Amino acid sequence: MLARPFDRIEEVTTAMLEAAQPSDGTWGHVTPDPRTPVRPFAEVVDEHLDRLYGYCVHLCDDRTDAGDLLQDTLVRAMRSFPGLRDPQSVKTWLFTIATNGARDRWRARSRAPATVPMETDDPDDDFSLFATLAIEDPFPYSDELHLDFLRLFGDSDVQAVFAAMTSVFRAPILLTAVHGFSCKGSAAILGVPLGTVLSRLHRGRKQLERGLWEYAVRRRLVTVSDET
Amino acid sequence: MIDCREAVRRMWAYLDGSLEVSPTEEVEAHLDACQRCCGELEFSRELRSMVAESPGPALPAGVRDRIDQFLGSGHDGG
Repeated sequence: MLARPFDRIEEVTTAMLEAAQPSDGTWGHVTPDPRTPVRPFAEVVDEHLDRLYGYCVHLCDDRTDAGDLLQDTLVRAMRSFPGLRDPQSVKTWLFTIATNGARDRWRARSRAPATVPMETDDPDDDFSLFATLAIEDPFPYSDELHLDFLRLFGDSDVQAVFAAMTSVFRAPILLTAVHGFSCKGSAAILGVPLGTVLSRLHRGRKQLERGLWEYAVRRRLVTVSDET
Repeated sequence: MIDCREAVRRMWAYLDGSLEVSPTEEVEAHLDACQRCCGELEFSRELRSMVAESPGPALPAGVRDRIDQFLGSGHDGG
């Protein structure tokens, strides 16, 4: 009777292990895989917890849900940790699990994230914060008009503007600018083609620019000639 | 040569270094000839920095305790 393929593989693997095993038997029958992470799970994920929570808040738009999503992410990550082949990709791995976890939660609640068809006209596409500041000139005596505008925004202001953005456009901004992923890495995390990320990144940036301007006008951080 | 609209459209991806060689060269050729877009690029860089330096929501102590309890309860994944 012919051996089945996996019988043969097992036979060869066993022979290789036995040949490589030290005479004192300290390895047992397990050969350490150099690709297997050796740091404990808790230590590996700890340095990413703050950033990961921030990402979960933006995915959920709710801090209570974000805490649950973070914990759910860690449970899933812990289960698949032994299969993590590249310890250098821990951050990408965790953010991908969080994104997939958020997607599952949306499905479970029959709630899709706010989406905007890509083919529709982008109302923000023609908006330029750079040009708007030059035209409105809210700081007429400033030599650093554009920088002075950005200096108006504290952390809570930036968070408020982020919170008002469409999540599908906010995600690439966060992943690239805040969390330091490349566009290619962001595409992998979001599970979409690179071209889609580039398009959403542009639209997200335009939405962010308009959001900052409208926030400043609404809060009367700037004085403009016509607030419409 | 690409116009200002297209240069601005590619700007964040350009700053990210995510564009292919040819689109990158097109952006750079445009920037060589367009002072306005150089200003827009510098502003985009500053805006990106402002966003990057925004610390984001802090991990609440209650959630941190819950996570520490989970991570310390023998779930070492290995």
